Amino acid sequence: MIYLEVKLPDIPGSLIELIKPISQNGGNIHGVLHHHDKKNNNLIPVDIWFELSEELIEVSLEKIKKGLIEKNIQLIKISVGSKNKMLTFILTGHVFDTDITNTIKRLDSKNIKVLELHAKFTEVDEISSVIMKVEFPEVMTKFELINEIEKICKEKNLFFMRS
Amino acid sequence: MCKGMEVKICLIGMGNVGTCFLQLLKEKQDNIRVNFNFNCKLVAIFEYDGALIDNDGIDLDNLLDDITNLRKNQYWISNVKAQDLISTLDIDICIETTPTNPNTGEPALTHIKEALNNKIDVISSNKAPFYLHYKKIQDLAEKMNCLVKFEATVASCVPAISIKKSLIGNTISRIRAILNGTNNYILSRMTTEGISFSVALKEAQELGYAETDPTLDISGYDAAGKLVILSNELLGWSKSIEDVKIKGITKITPHALELAKIDDYVIKHLAIAEENNLIVEPRLVKRDSLLNIQGTLNLIELQTKYAGSIILIGKGAGGFEAASAILNDLISIVKKRRGF
Repeated sequence: MIYLEVKLPDIPGSLIELIKPISQNGGNIHGVLHHHDKKNNNLIPVDIWFELSEELIEVSLEKIKKGLIEKNIQLIKISVGSKNKMLTFILTGHVFDTDITNTIKRLDSKNIKVLELHAKFTEVDEISSVIMKVEFPEVMTKFELINEIEKICKEKNLFFMRS
Repeated sequence: MCKGMEVKICLIGMGNVGTCFLQLLKEKQDNIRVNFNFNCKLVAIFEYDGALIDNDGIDLDNLLDDITNLRKNQYWISNVKAQDLISTLDIDICIETTPTNPNTGEPALTHIKEALNNKIDVISSNKAPFYLHYKKIQDLAEKMNCLVKFEATVASCVPAISIKKSLIGNTISRIRAILNGTNNYILSRMTTEGISFSVALKEAQELGYAETDPTLDISGYDAAGKLVILSNELLGWSKSIEDVKIKGITKITPHALELAKIDDYVIKHLAIAEENNLIVEPRLVKRDSLLNIQGTLNLIELQTKYAGSIILIGKGAGGFEAASAILNDLISIVKKRRGF
């Protein structure tokens, strides 16, 4: 999924101008969100998310960027997300002693939802491992997600391995 | 340089790689003469305790019959250093295969610089000078109008560096690689047998796949050095080993490997260059992924802009493997000097 953040002039037809280069370059649009409440200088922040063929993602993205620039559309951010914004990872260390519930709650506070968790351990106070599958928000990049997890791991001295 | 039928070379370091190179050179001499129209004349061999210098060419048959003949030869000079004598030699190419300090790159770095300063093309199998001082070496080579080749430094005979020529019409956007055979062996064994890291390491040491002191391998430093060289060569970056985020494999437990299996993953120690970042760390990789190679093999996956993924797999270590990479470099230098 490609997440695109732009600023569009609040005039009729500007959304069509935004959509054209995306659809012309193979983008399958999944959603558009207008932030009318954040309108400033007659510019409205707009989020649009769409899918591109994995094979041609780089070429298509470049063409889309070029198309937007040619149309003088103000580009704020483009991020490429995984297919369904999920990540699987393993934590190794004193996972239980360092309070796994707290780990899950802290992820949840950042809208990172733990969908699955499996654990392996011999004794609760020994080195153990958990594998987690998480879903993270559309607006969050994988890099930001990993930063959040690594912050917790550093604090709790856990070894982090991801997909 | 290398313009006539005769190409004069010197070899610094006659350990396993150096000796294998001489054996390969001997074996391939006729082939080189017929296919590439030149003779290789070995003018000097430097060792830690002296040098054999013969301007008429060292007799390879005699030398390889018995390696101890090196120091018995009438032209053997004791207690001389390569860096002091390179400038006095009439040679085209210097081949550098000495054991080298991974933190300083010495003595290889000095040998390479000395050769370049004397307008001699260089081939090296030593990684450290290149992951520590890549730009300095390239700048010096350019200034002296010299060629520097180091194919053997990454994945040995696998053409990880020279593939660049074959992809000149494409753009490489990402590298993902398994660049340390020792680590891949250990993880493969831990995955298939459910054994601990220490048991797998001991097994690797007994089989000669791991050094007595395996720190450089298991810490990820060795793979990081190779990744720096690959990214600088293939992506045009200018990084050094300090730029790599490195995690080793020592904290991987059998429990973690078992858990990975639940979701059809395995754990591989990957070296990744993407978006201006260099990372060496254990990653979860799908069992059916092409990255899931077994044993001591190396793998390099190049994500290209116009052709998707291209993968090279092969033996990443060994005397003859490195020697064949050095010979490739040698032929490639001679061809380039002749305008091909």
